[in-house]
Amino acid sequence: MLLSRAFQPVAMLILLAPFVLAVMAGLLGTSAGNRNFGIVFVWIVWWAVLMVLLVPGLGRVWCTVCPIPAPGEWVQRRGIIGGAGRLRTRGLRWPRRLRNMWLQNAGFLVLALFSMVILTRPSVSAGVFVGLIGVAVGMSLLFEKRTFCRYVCPIGGFIGLYSMAAPVELRVRDAQVCVDHREKDCITGNDRGYGCPWMVYPGKLDRNLDCGLCTECLKTCTMDNVVINLRRPGADLAKPVRGNRIDEAFKALIMLACSIIYPAVLFGPWATVKEWAAIESFGGWLIYAAAFLIATLVVIPGLFWLAVAGGQRSCAGGLTVRRAFNEYSHALIPLGLAAWVTFSVGFALTNGSYALAAISDPFGWGWDVFGTRDVGWTPYLSGAAPTIQAAILIGGLLFSIRTSLRVGLRHDPSGETTLAATAPIAAFLLASTLALLWLYLG
Amino acid sequence: MSQAAPVPAQRRPITAGRAILLVLIVGVLLVPIPGFRTPQTHNIVIDASQFEFSPARLTVNRGDIVQVTLTASDVVHGFFLDGYGIDFRVEPGTSQEFTFTADRSGKFRYRCSVACGALHPFMIGELVVGPNELVWRASALAAVAVGAMLLHARKRPSA
Amino acid sequence: MTTTRGNRAALVMLAFIVVGVPALIIGYQYGLRPALADHRVVDIEALAPENGGFSPDVVRVEVGETITLRFAADDVTHGIAIGPGLGIDLGHVDPGHVGEVTFTPQEPGTYTYYCNTWCSADHWRMRGVLEVVDPNSPGGVNVQLDPIIEALGAASVDIDSEPEVAEGIFPDRSRGERSLDTVEVPPSLRDPDWRLSHSPAEGLEVLQADNPDTPEDVLVDVVAYLWSETPPTDEISELFARNCAACHGERGRGDGPGAATTLEEPVAYPEVSWHRRGDIWYAKIMRGGMGTDMPNFGTLFTEEETRLLVDYLRYLSFTES
Repeated sequence: MLLSRAFQPVAMLILLAPFVLAVMAGLLGTSAGNRNFGIVFVWIVWWAVLMVLLVPGLGRVWCTVCPIPAPGEWVQRRGIIGGAGRLRTRGLRWPRRLRNMWLQNAGFLVLALFSMVILTRPSVSAGVFVGLIGVAVGMSLLFEKRTFCRYVCPIGGFIGLYSMAAPVELRVRDAQVCVDHREKDCITGNDRGYGCPWMVYPGKLDRNLDCGLCTECLKTCTMDNVVINLRRPGADLAKPVRGNRIDEAFKALIMLACSIIYPAVLFGPWATVKEWAAIESFGGWLIYAAAFLIATLVVIPGLFWLAVAGGQRSCAGGLTVRRAFNEYSHALIPLGLAAWVTFSVGFALTNGSYALAAISDPFGWGWDVFGTRDVGWTPYLSGAAPTIQAAILIGGLLFSIRTSLRVGLRHDPSGETTLAATAPIAAFLLASTLALLWLYLG
Repeated sequence: MSQAAPVPAQRRPITAGRAILLVLIVGVLLVPIPGFRTPQTHNIVIDASQFEFSPARLTVNRGDIVQVTLTASDVVHGFFLDGYGIDFRVEPGTSQEFTFTADRSGKFRYRCSVACGALHPFMIGELVVGPNELVWRASALAAVAVGAMLLHARKRPSA
Repeated sequence: MTTTRGNRAALVMLAFIVVGVPALIIGYQYGLRPALADHRVVDIEALAPENGGFSPDVVRVEVGETITLRFAADDVTHGIAIGPGLGIDLGHVDPGHVGEVTFTPQEPGTYTYYCNTWCSADHWRMRGVLEVVDPNSPGGVNVQLDPIIEALGAASVDIDSEPEVAEGIFPDRSRGERSLDTVEVPPSLRDPDWRLSHSPAEGLEVLQADNPDTPEDVLVDVVAYLWSETPPTDEISELFARNCAACHGERGRGDGPGAATTLEEPVAYPEVSWHRRGDIWYAKIMRGGMGTDMPNFGTLFTEEETRLLVDYLRYLSFTES
């Protein structure tokens, strides 16, 4: 099935239908978000499925089926199932300085700063969806391939980061086969598929971060050398980071910071902060935005930097702090992912029942398509949720500690400096976990 | 949950360290935390307005009786208490009175259960029924586990 | 690539999703659905007055024409009722829900659809007009004068006079009920119409004339009982809770959450009841309080409902909270 040309376009087409419905509901439906398909199915159902099931279980698989880049790709390729060869695009190459995750970091922070408004106002949500599609189409006309997905999409950024913890990967069977294979159909494309739209060379693929699971190389590879593997979760995390990837480290730090800020702002008892976040007053929002950016870009990264530096200082012959910052930032990924699962589980259990009403009455017009219009709001498992959340957080913490130990052991296989190098990082991780535990349970 | 120790083929002897860890974990999870006060009765007026409850955080002890007078001061609101299955609707000008026994410990959020505007899903208050066993046990468990993993790594480099 | 046929099929599917589905949905909602109904369906958006109130805020219907009104609340919970005298109360309509009523008006006249659940500082402005016209005599809506308000006017009673606050008097209707058999009650005090047009203070003077030897505080209690003789029904206390309590308070002490928003402090009934004539209260409810933010309810309540409300205010006044 994955080898079929139609697989990805059809999946995208199918998901385009609810996407169109979500945009319509946002523009035409009730402004009561909890009864609006656009809000309920994107921010409750899709978000929970993405963060609780897809990313931890299957990595980038959402990117396989995501409808947002689809129209742009179809315009660019002059075809839906398969392009005719001649492209409709300026085909520009993405500037070298932007070939990293910084734009995705910035885009996520912008969405995060406005998330209280986006989450609660159907029309604003619809605007964001249409805006993302618009940017994707525009970029397809200007730039080559899926430049939007790889370097710009604010959602793809963190999906890629956390997909490194997933138990699924696309890899080549034998890298030597790729080295010896001169034609490199996976890059150039052939009559069975496109050259990698994500601008990745599968032969050197060793981490999930940049692979969008678009399945093109499965089709183009003439050597039958590309496979999808099940693997031990988190297999990418202890691998060496090539080059300077402070952008990637910051992605992990921003996501972890947000996973602490979100439950405090959204689920906490502090109404004033919520009103600031929702821009009820502009001055209040400015305070919120400043605090948010300082916490995500200065305080949390600064503390982590200190932890890394402290660890390296106390073990002789350590790495440069910059290198260690890169390498050890992978230890933040399991805990960050667990924190987002915790957040999403809580939100989905509390508000999941809205989906039943919204599917029968997607616009709040009084429809009753499936007879579930009048199902009331009922939080599920509200008594057990805290225990579940504690278990997820502690699981994430231990996974993170283990990752930091593996990184430490890789740099010093004797194990003599592992404790010195990782203890401050472990303290940082434990402190983050305790903050999360007390926010959720305390 | 933890995959900290890659298990080699042969069984390891039970060392003193492992025994201590086991005792610690069992202790953290099971040691009883005594209730320390005779039950009291709390009379609490909770006012709901867009988008907050006042008071936003309540602290009682397990076994206490909580008598709530629920009012609303701007539009219709609701009051759903996590874990207790309590749900009331209140409209401005009228009040709802109800009583429950705080017989489950932990933090339970109370949430507005009647859509009341944009921020309705985040209109949340907190009832803490002490002693809050779950958060203390979870915190201690996290600390013990982290300590054990670090000590383990120090002793026996592997992997 | 041999994908031309596939591309064509996919393009059809794409067109269906992007153009067809929205067109079908909009076509059904705004074209087919009203067309399928065998009578007129009017969609009315219900928002707090600050956000736009009812739209449309005028609906015209002919006598004998069946009509469905669908009220969609979009911001906060509203209570939808239509009066006077139609007995239509849809109760709460929460945001994103639609409250719907189908009926066939028989009496020509001007009715009001209104919100009866406090929804904002301007809640009471949330009203729309339902005009029921008789096709045989269009424009012939007869304005009926209210006999009680007319009588007040004829007697030159100032409806907007400041209420006199009772000092040192603590009437209690349940004590009065127990003492009722020990006093001589003249027939005028048994007459609801007489009581409506006289204050309890005036009633006390009449009662004292007939019972010179009875202590005054006993007579005060008996008057309190007589003026609140009608036991409140669930309907009338509900009517009060829905329409009055937000400002005047659940127990009529002037301490509802809306009290902070009004131009003048809402009246606390126990303070002024003793010197207040019931027909003035009646007129104030029907006509509204000039310059005080007390809305008019004459377009919402029937005369009977209003008289029962006045009795209920006495009941609240003379009952310990």
